[in-house]
Amino acid sequence: MTDIGIMENSQYLTFKLDQEVYALDIIQVREVLDFTEVTKVPRMPEFMRGVINLRGGVVPVVDLRLKFGMSITEKTVDTCIIIMEISLEGESTLLGALADSVQEVLTLEPDQIEPPPRIGTRLKTEFIKGMGKKNDEFVIILDIDKVFSSEELTLLQDAEEEPVLKRAES
Amino acid sequence: MSKLIMTADDSASIRQMVNFTLKQAGYEVIEAVDGQDAIEKLDSHLVSMLITDLNMPRMDGTELIRQVRAKPRYRFIPIIMLTTESQDRKKQEGKAAGATGWIVKPFKPDQLLGVIKKVLK
Amino acid sequence: MSESNRFMDAYRQEAEELLSEIEQAILDIEDDPEDREAVNRLFRCMHTIKGSGSMFGFDAIAEFTHHVETVLDKVRAGLVPVSKRLIDLVLASRDQIMMMLNETEGHQKPDTGTRQKIIESLNAMLFESENDKTLSAEKDIGRPPSFDTTQGKDMTYRIRFRPNREIFSRGMDPALLLDELREMGDCSIMAHTDGIPSIEKLDPESCYLYWDIILVTAKGINAVRDIFIFVEDDCDIRIDIVEAAEQNVEEPVPRLGEILVERGDVIPETVTKALSEQKKIGELLVDSGSVSRGKVESALIEQQRLEKQRLSARVGTVRVPSDRLDKLVNLVGELVITQARLSQVSADMNHAELVNPVEEIERLTTELRDSVLNIRMMPIGTTFSKFRRLVRDLSAELGKDIALITEGAETELDKTVIERLDDPLVHMIRNCIDHGIEPPAERKKKNKPETGTIRLAAAHKGANVVITIEDDGIGLDPDAIRLKAIEKGLIPKEAELTEKEILSRIFAPGFSTSEKITNLSGRGVGMDVVKKTIESLRGTVDVSSVKGKGTCITLKLPLTLAIINGLLVTIGDSYYVLPLATVEECTELTKEDVEKAHGANIMNVRGEIVPYVRLRDHFEMKENKPDLEHIVIADVYDKRIGFVVDHVVGGHQTVIKSLGPAFKGVKDVSGATILGDGTVALILDVNALV
Repeated sequence: MTDIGIMENSQYLTFKLDQEVYALDIIQVREVLDFTEVTKVPRMPEFMRGVINLRGGVVPVVDLRLKFGMSITEKTVDTCIIIMEISLEGESTLLGALADSVQEVLTLEPDQIEPPPRIGTRLKTEFIKGMGKKNDEFVIILDIDKVFSSEELTLLQDAEEEPVLKRAES
Repeated sequence: MSKLIMTADDSASIRQMVNFTLKQAGYEVIEAVDGQDAIEKLDSHLVSMLITDLNMPRMDGTELIRQVRAKPRYRFIPIIMLTTESQDRKKQEGKAAGATGWIVKPFKPDQLLGVIKKVLK
Repeated sequence: MSESNRFMDAYRQEAEELLSEIEQAILDIEDDPEDREAVNRLFRCMHTIKGSGSMFGFDAIAEFTHHVETVLDKVRAGLVPVSKRLIDLVLASRDQIMMMLNETEGHQKPDTGTRQKIIESLNAMLFESENDKTLSAEKDIGRPPSFDTTQGKDMTYRIRFRPNREIFSRGMDPALLLDELREMGDCSIMAHTDGIPSIEKLDPESCYLYWDIILVTAKGINAVRDIFIFVEDDCDIRIDIVEAAEQNVEEPVPRLGEILVERGDVIPETVTKALSEQKKIGELLVDSGSVSRGKVESALIEQQRLEKQRLSARVGTVRVPSDRLDKLVNLVGELVITQARLSQVSADMNHAELVNPVEEIERLTTELRDSVLNIRMMPIGTTFSKFRRLVRDLSAELGKDIALITEGAETELDKTVIERLDDPLVHMIRNCIDHGIEPPAERKKKNKPETGTIRLAAAHKGANVVITIEDDGIGLDPDAIRLKAIEKGLIPKEAELTEKEILSRIFAPGFSTSEKITNLSGRGVGMDVVKKTIESLRGTVDVSSVKGKGTCITLKLPLTLAIINGLLVTIGDSYYVLPLATVEECTELTKEDVEKAHGANIMNVRGEIVPYVRLRDHFEMKENKPDLEHIVIADVYDKRIGFVVDHVVGGHQTVIKSLGPAFKGVKDVSGATILGDGTVALILDVNALV
């Protein structure tokens, strides 16, 4: 298993997106919040849901379902925001991710983790650190830094650039 | 108009060096080979400053300074004497005669200009 | 190199002539030992060989000749008799010097043994004649080179310079010495006039003035003393180190009386007595005649200096990591928000007992906010001083004569702002030097003073700091800029623009990327970058210019980046903040207004056509459009532009929060803030919206 770099027992926070179970290394998770009102930032890719007030700080919130090509996260009693610490261009920053529900904290041994499959998942292989197995159920362990690499975040932002005053000036 | 400075020295090489340095810095220069020569030339030119050696034939620097200070038009001009480190006594004589300041030989062009800046407006 | 070679050749030639004259003189002396004139001539020649030799790198000759000269000096003074031995020695010396002269031209190797022998014999002659006291005493009058501990750090010197009355008749102008002092550092000079006699007794050729100088310099006390080297013997000069700038920061600055006593201007008892009378100490001392008014004023200047320096030293000693400061600022921001909420709740409850404490908290919060923001404030002067060097070096390089005048160096700005301002300022000053100010000859032709002036000034103006960079150079040429802008496709050919609008094109990206524009006044090198930086600091840039007379660039910057005055508006369910500084007016946008414009986004405001941006459309918000919308008219690039919103809520103290790296690419929003109820409102960047 050395080739995927998971050597020791690790703890993971598991959560559900559209019936699938995903996991995040617990080290990167700061806290889990109930869903609160998100302020939309205009003209951002749709999966960037907006910002929330986290005890006086402004933290961006992303919709992982949209990012992974599923439908938009609907608000239910179980909907949560997982606040995690990610590294963006070497800068550590907080980021909230919407989850349909948070499951549990799971300990996995290295031999319980398999390398990511080449096919058969909805998301890009590089987003996946490995596949954990728990009670015959597969858990997708995310490489969250990759999911929110600056490349991924800025990909769609330059789409609209033309000045809006054109009509008024002519 | 740039200022006219007289250099009085019996050593041609020193005169040449002083002359060159001053002209580079934008001054006009008039040379005198000894005190007597200097006195004669001072009457026909209006000099803003005098740089003089102390040991010169015919009339030495101290006497030159004394005579220059006696001339009404040169009572307040700066006079710098060139001395060597062993000439403290001569320096005192020069000062008593009315020299403004001195430069100890050997000196570099920059030092000469530095002293001029100190005394010439 | 060639110059020094020329001097060396001249020296060799001269030395050879002198050597033959020396030979002649010695032979004359041999004929007539009483020939004083020949002895003088001999001495003078040796002296010249020595003096000039040291000047042009003939050190060995100078050193050797020194020994001969020393003996000859004694002969001249009658202390060493003329003897056969002397004459032989001098002749041998002459030959030795001749040999050394040729040596440098690559002739035979000199016999240093002979040289040493001659020197020994000469010295022996001196010993015989007298004991060596005077010789050694005269040997070196230079200052012993000692390590100067005062060098390299800022020290405050108190100098009293009381020139000899006769100083003018020695050709010395004390004002030049004062000028020299001024060049050494921060310098206050106070002239004392109490020595001036009544007019009938006044000798216009005497110097009655004397000066007290307070100088702060890092050049060391020896450099300070050197200024007075020509006058130290006959003038009264006292140089004291008042205080090393970095020491004793915690101690109080000495009192006026203490300074006067220390200077010896007054005795301690007088001060104590004066103090007991409970009036201003300076006034008292003057009234009692113990000391002149001038002396008191001079001492006051010293006190002020010290106070100023202590103050700046104190600024230097409080070093806090900026992240701690940021945290404090954030917390205060929180407090401001919470306090706003508290006030709101209190107003809703309308509880009599709540009113007072809530108001008190509001007052305290405001005070706390101001003090905390103040911690981040620094005088802009630190940056200014750097430019003096820039101007000096660059103008010298370009052969221009330029003076930099700075004003308002004490103006305080947020540290971050100052740091980010550095590059734009360098850029603009470079432009002034490079393209603005003409060479001296050209200026003369235009009847301008040959020395060009760049004025760099900072001043507070409301919640902003205004920085102006002004030169009296060539100015901007609107026609040339217009042509260039058309050529670059920045404005349509037929566009009718005011001069101001044309000038503002120098800030347009792509206006000029070349280092030099020949047929144009030349500015524009990356001015768009300058504008961008200033705008990222929530500031504005403005240019005005009179062709041929000069150019003035005005930067307007907010005092701080942490809190701004905002205008809170809503669109749909969301709150937005527009920086109040750019907002000019708010008005309603009725359905009729929209219909009149026939689909164009323009509105007639009191006869003026104002284009507008529908933020609702721009942000693609479809739902809940109200019947009556509002339009906020803002100043964007010197144009009035409207922004259509649903409602205008009102003014809002906006604590700015960064959106963080995740939103680096976002264009229309410059940050976020948290409202009283905890919701997040976005701060709009009006410049980016159009």
